[in-house]
Amino acid sequence: MPGMHDRNTAVIDVLPATADRPRVMYRYAGDRFLLVEYGEMVLDLTMNFRIFGLNDTVKKAELDGLVETVPALRSILIHYDSRRLPTHMLVDTLKKMEETVPPGENLNIPSRRVELPIAFSDRWTRADIERYVKYTRQDAPNIVNGHNIEYIAQYNGLRSVQAVIDYICATEWWNACIGFWPGLPFMFPLDPRYAIVTPKYNPTRPWTPEGAVGIGGPCVAIYPVQSPGGYQLFGRTIPIFDLKQRNPAFKMNPILLKPADRIQWVPVSDAELESIREKVYDGTYRYKIVAYEALNVKSYLGFLDSIKSEIAAFQQRQAEAVKHVAIP
Amino acid sequence: MFEVLEGGIQTTVQDYPGRVGYLDLGTYPAGPMDHFAFRVANLLVGNAQGAAALEVTAGGLKARFQDRRAVAITGADMQPTLNGKPVPLWESVGVGPDDMLELKIVRGAGFRAYVAVSGAFDVPEYMGSRATFTVGGFGGFEGRGLKKGDRVLLNRAGAPDRMIGRRLRTNARPQYGSQWEIEAMRGPQADPDYMTAEDMEFFFSHAWKVDRNSNRMGVRLESHKWQWARTSGGVAGGHPSNILDDGYAVWTVNVCGDQPIILVADGPSLGGFICNATLIYASTWKVGQLVPGRDTIRFKEVTIDQATQLAGSVDETIAESSIERG
Repeated sequence: MPGMHDRNTAVIDVLPATADRPRVMYRYAGDRFLLVEYGEMVLDLTMNFRIFGLNDTVKKAELDGLVETVPALRSILIHYDSRRLPTHMLVDTLKKMEETVPPGENLNIPSRRVELPIAFSDRWTRADIERYVKYTRQDAPNIVNGHNIEYIAQYNGLRSVQAVIDYICATEWWNACIGFWPGLPFMFPLDPRYAIVTPKYNPTRPWTPEGAVGIGGPCVAIYPVQSPGGYQLFGRTIPIFDLKQRNPAFKMNPILLKPADRIQWVPVSDAELESIREKVYDGTYRYKIVAYEALNVKSYLGFLDSIKSEIAAFQQRQAEAVKHVAIP
Repeated sequence: MFEVLEGGIQTTVQDYPGRVGYLDLGTYPAGPMDHFAFRVANLLVGNAQGAAALEVTAGGLKARFQDRRAVAITGADMQPTLNGKPVPLWESVGVGPDDMLELKIVRGAGFRAYVAVSGAFDVPEYMGSRATFTVGGFGGFEGRGLKKGDRVLLNRAGAPDRMIGRRLRTNARPQYGSQWEIEAMRGPQADPDYMTAEDMEFFFSHAWKVDRNSNRMGVRLESHKWQWARTSGGVAGGHPSNILDDGYAVWTVNVCGDQPIILVADGPSLGGFICNATLIYASTWKVGQLVPGRDTIRFKEVTIDQATQLAGSVDETIAESSIERG
């Protein structure tokens, strides 16, 4: 590899892959940020688990000059003061840490379990989808009977709307990272037997209600505030962002979720959701969050191994279904 | 008390370095677009360099003071006046009850002016900062730009006389023009894996026009037909600018499809597009002074060592040793 001080190089250093871990690349992102990147560009949650392993190791090291870290799917962006912590020293430290990050099998990631009520195919997302049909695109194939949820069923080879609901509630959703907008989670199913996928809106939707929940590709997101959006909507949940911090859950800051949270969906009716949302804002609702849990990667990998054939069966069913479904 | 008679195009309360430490919760730092002029304004009136002060974008601010203060205006020349009489830039002046400050719409070089008042603006801290985050609508004064009728509190301050008539040495003042050279470093996603060497050569030699549609979230440059080193983004999407989402460095150049966008103070913290270059600490202030729809940028490539050196000289300039008495 080119040396540290050469011009014309974005990559500072590379650690080739070993049996225990993927390739690691260290990339310049100006003189205040550095990007650590794992492996090839594939969507693989075990890579994301290792990111959290490294993230914990970096944070615990309390390096002088480290400002903050931003874990994402297969990378960590490190914000640092290069005058206090010279880049080559930071890279050397990070390289050494790769020897101390526990390999996947021994990794225990601190992870909160967060239960969120959700009204599926609710009237609020229904209203914005109706507006989309009226003002943006009349013949959108991803809108069936006034909502996206039936299209999600078709696209994944599921028999009914109820089957989509069952699938979404059958797995915990791993919050791999937060970003783009304050508090917006990027979540993936921990049980790949229920890993539904969808294409995105085309064109995007000018309106999405706050608390709407949708899926784009394999990723589920919650809209923290009313905003435009491109994900296929399937329901609405309670606030995950509250500027006015009206509930004890927002005492520290207006953002509910953290990276490495596991989200479990609990179906409720529109009326129930409305009443819970009122209690969130009058401060009496208690968010159902179990802190101090951990995700044990070893037992998780064992679980994945035990369901291999079922994962393959669902993927095959999806591949067959997609052939008969129009893309937006 | 600072009484707003006209808010102007966009006037926000900011502090420096802004809301640092929340990138992993999706929150960019906000803070001034031009930290150099911002910090100097505070220094001139005897505040801490990071204290809450005003960022006046494009001009049009009109406001009245209620008590005796030292005030300094830095940055773009918006022909500031106090009770109709011209006020010098980069220099602290005294104001008293009922004095009226006016900044006109900017016409020459530069795009943002900063107004610091001794004692500093007293707005509540939100997530550890007083900076206005325009996208999220929080921080600063009620999470928004100032408008007619707003009454912004000022902290109590001692007798301002000692802080009046201080000015930044002429040779320490930045020069604004319409053709900018902005230092940047290659990466994180550049050649050879994402773009071709020719793409990067073009990036570092072309005079990029700043798009009209630029703001505190992003400064857009013109679209370009890149060669790209890849034919698609693979699992991340059909276009070669797509990647699996990464955290975005503040002041990075994000290439969305064909269009480069400099992600600035209130930008998105994470996303699925490559960033082919990143501005350095010593050059980011220039972005705050770019006039949308008119100015051009040439990016000058620097090494990490050069960047560190330049960073030191910026901080050394924003210091008491650069101040002289009028």
